[in-house]
Amino acid sequence: MTAQVETAPAARPAARSEISDRARAERRLGLLLSAPAVIVMLLVTGYPLLNAVYLSLFNYRLTAPQDREFVGLRNYITALSDGLFWQDVFTTFLITAITVAVELVLGFGLAMVMHRAVFARRTVRTAILLPYGIVTVISAFAWRYAFDLQSGFVNSWFGLGDFAWFSDRWAALFVICLSEVWKTTPFISLLLLAGLAQVPHDLSEAATVDGATAWQRLRRVIIPNMKAAILVAVLFRTLDAWRIFDNPFVMTRGQEQTATLSFLTYDQTITRTSIGMGNAVGVLLFLSVVLIAAVFIRGFRVDLSQVRGDR
Amino acid sequence: METGRSKALWIVASLLILVWTIFPILWIVMLSFKQPGEVGNVQSFLPKDWTMENYRTVFSTSLFTSALINSIGVSLIATFIGVVFATLVAYAIARLEFPGKKLILSFALAIAMFPVVTLVGPLFDLWRTIGLYDTWPGLIIPYISFALPLAIWTLSAFFREIPWEMEQAAQVDGATSWQAFRKVIVPLAAPGVFTAAILTFFFCWNDFVFGISLTSTDRARPVPAALAFFTGQSQFEQPTTAICAAAVVVTIPVVVIVLLFQRRIVAGLTAGAVKG
Amino acid sequence: MSERAKDGRGDQGARARRGPGRRTRGGPARPRARGRARALRGAVAAALLAGGLAACGGDGGTPTLHWYINPDNGGQARLAEACTKAAGGRYRIVTSILPNDATQQREQLIRRLAAKDDQLDIMSLDPVFVAEAANAGFLRPFTADEARQFTQGVFPAAVESSTWKGRLYAAPFWANTQILWYRKSAAQKAGVDPNAPDFTWDKMIDAAVRAGVTVGVQGNKYEGYMVWINALVASAGGRIISAAERGNDASIDIDSPAGREAARIIGKLARSKAASPSLSTDMEEQARSLLNSDRGGFMVNWGYIWRAENDDAKSGVIDKNIPNDLGWAPYPRVRADQPGRPPFGGIELGIGAFGKYKDTHAVDAVRCITTPENMKKYMLDSGNPAARPEVFDDPEVRREFPMATMIRDSINAAAPRPNTPYYTDLSAAVQSRWHPPASVNPESTPRRSAEFVRAVLRDEALL
Repeated sequence: MTAQVETAPAARPAARSEISDRARAERRLGLLLSAPAVIVMLLVTGYPLLNAVYLSLFNYRLTAPQDREFVGLRNYITALSDGLFWQDVFTTFLITAITVAVELVLGFGLAMVMHRAVFARRTVRTAILLPYGIVTVISAFAWRYAFDLQSGFVNSWFGLGDFAWFSDRWAALFVICLSEVWKTTPFISLLLLAGLAQVPHDLSEAATVDGATAWQRLRRVIIPNMKAAILVAVLFRTLDAWRIFDNPFVMTRGQEQTATLSFLTYDQTITRTSIGMGNAVGVLLFLSVVLIAAVFIRGFRVDLSQVRGDR
Repeated sequence: METGRSKALWIVASLLILVWTIFPILWIVMLSFKQPGEVGNVQSFLPKDWTMENYRTVFSTSLFTSALINSIGVSLIATFIGVVFATLVAYAIARLEFPGKKLILSFALAIAMFPVVTLVGPLFDLWRTIGLYDTWPGLIIPYISFALPLAIWTLSAFFREIPWEMEQAAQVDGATSWQAFRKVIVPLAAPGVFTAAILTFFFCWNDFVFGISLTSTDRARPVPAALAFFTGQSQFEQPTTAICAAAVVVTIPVVVIVLLFQRRIVAGLTAGAVKG
Repeated sequence: MSERAKDGRGDQGARARRGPGRRTRGGPARPRARGRARALRGAVAAALLAGGLAACGGDGGTPTLHWYINPDNGGQARLAEACTKAAGGRYRIVTSILPNDATQQREQLIRRLAAKDDQLDIMSLDPVFVAEAANAGFLRPFTADEARQFTQGVFPAAVESSTWKGRLYAAPFWANTQILWYRKSAAQKAGVDPNAPDFTWDKMIDAAVRAGVTVGVQGNKYEGYMVWINALVASAGGRIISAAERGNDASIDIDSPAGREAARIIGKLARSKAASPSLSTDMEEQARSLLNSDRGGFMVNWGYIWRAENDDAKSGVIDKNIPNDLGWAPYPRVRADQPGRPPFGGIELGIGAFGKYKDTHAVDAVRCITTPENMKKYMLDSGNPAARPEVFDDPEVRREFPMATMIRDSINAAAPRPNTPYYTDLSAAVQSRWHPPASVNPESTPRRSAEFVRAVLRDEALL
């Protein structure tokens, strides 16, 4: 395409207009190429989001459409002044903080192993990628059955007797986090591996020659050089963890105070068919996600146009 | 360079990783070979009596077989279209100067983090109105839309690293622009596109919420959603072992893809960063 | 029809793929691309038309009824076949399966009914969801004549929960109830007779503690827990809610002597040694596992237990002697001088208000499905008890279910859960304040749950 534009005859005095012509053509092509993807994404999210915002201003139940009534921001006030909302915010925060922290450390280790594996490299890489491809619902089932009191093997292997994992808030959250970590660490480790590959080898070598310990190399050379990759990985995982749904849905159905914000939305909209309230919670969930993203992008200066840290 | 001790350390780490990642999968496989009644009554890792009954059950119901066909068809079509769209956008972002580049990337990011549960209700209404409810396109469209962000991000990062000037160099050497594109650019871009395709496929394969909300019959229902429709002898008995057999079946494609393309996936995600 | 639609799709995909390739060739492609687009549009239209015609026409003009069934291992699908055959070409019934979780079944049906879906001809409904759908105008009420037919000789609880504001909105199809299952050896060791007329929850819990065995119940935060709470409140002579037809102004009666008595029993069991270690997540099957374990003693559960236990013993996953050790008794009482009110469950058949054949074939089909013969056939096939007491006198049924008489009497005495259009909210609100069972306190739990139910019904609280 560019080649075609370049072959256009251009006299030297007209250089300026040639450039702006080219720029215009390029601009048009760029927009044209982006159009299909943007249209699909808008169709699926744009209209439903506006619809959700609109519906959140009503007291509206699917099973009593005739009682629909405009209530302004009342649903938001109810939600924000409800203890359950904040409890679920706390649970979601806890799951997000724990899983992202654990995954970052673990994912870094996995990335190192993938990067430098000396033993059965192929097998190790394959094994690391496997959980990433496993359906989340299936991962949740696997861990639930493993910790299940009646059929699981965990209690009998570790001599825990009849400890009921899912009857205790913290134990249940532990298993939920475990499944989440298992399933998503490969993703974070892939992003970190990409960052790791950017660390200039000669720098690391030079540090070794200078007598730096492994820890010093890690802190002084490796981590600073892959800061961008780490931040992007953390951002993506944080936002993903913040809307965790499948794992609590399969494992606890949100009981023992393990409900998350997505779960709360699901309960109001789908289970209660309380469309107004449900959409209000959904919009709040969306706003919280935007807030987190903004904090990351402004606060940590994650330059999103530099995912691979082009420097 | 590596000392014996650090080598041993790497081996131990590798072994630990193998156990950690493969064990839960193995557990599902074990469950799938247990008798239905064993779950809930016998606490053990290995089956007491190995049986193929669950696989027979699963494959004898159209509930599962048609769901499998739906899953494969919908995921493949969505992957194909999604990757084509993502490639176009990524090419534009990496190669062309036009306004709204950052906007598109931010918009894609916003989509990537969208709480899916919020959309399901309005989307259900919309799909019913325009006749997409319980059809393949009704799933393909949301799949594309939610898989696009990651594909766009991966691909545009990847494309940015491609030495495009080689295309011009080839043309100077007498190749036509099509030859230059095919011989120089396609081989360079293929791994990235391929990675994007695998990521997209995994995403579609994984979906649960759309599958359960936007379908109602065998016509379009995908496997993860169909798992919720399995039942035991009575409505109170959990069909755990049958679910696990189905889970094993849908995990096989994932394992095959990872086994075959493990290098491609890793390379695709990291190659963008490795110069030359 | 689906094949034709798929062909259309494949064609469309192939064309779409060829499309962009053309355009890059430049100039002359334009008009041709437009031609292609027109051809594509034509193909899509043809595919849609073919699909539409197939949907309308059915098989040579036989009207098709869609019956949405709860998963039951094929029993209802076989009934549908039988009734299709019996109809002799007047209509045919096609079954579609719903998720296995009652809450998800309702969720799917309600959403489609709210969209006035005309594909929902017949629906297998959990009794607690009938009032909601009826109140919203989603179900076709039966005429007085039809109602007489569908309610004569049917268990009163089934009729009560299928009725809303004096009209019958669903035809009772099968009925369910819980009875007390126990290990004879454990009862003997504790020195009690669960079949004694004054056997109460207190006696049972004390006996279990004495003998070192457990009392299995459904304590997970789900509908099954509400089933238990409701049965206890009703057995104590009270109710959770009344004047339900006033919608969200209904009178909340759970904070009453009966409610407090129910709370006392739940708290007592949950904090005793007879409680399951995983009580707060136990459902039907976990309770059954508990009964089969070394500490198995007593359990309240549905009628499916008999078959499930025999099947498991046969396949060797539980001890072969357990079925012989398995006893059954009426649902325990709360007060020694007042008969217990066991839970009520089952399935009723509703007819969608927007179906094409709602006044004709759909009614005929429901009539066919709910004949005593078909109920008996279904009971023998699936193990789900019939909604008509007469079926329980059938010798074949008695042979297959030795406890048939007790189940019949139990359904006769059963207390339906509250009949209210806000049932889902009510149930979730009660569960939320009564869960986990070990936290239940007769002084505070009923009062707090009553306040919470009120707030939820007025949309002033999240669930």
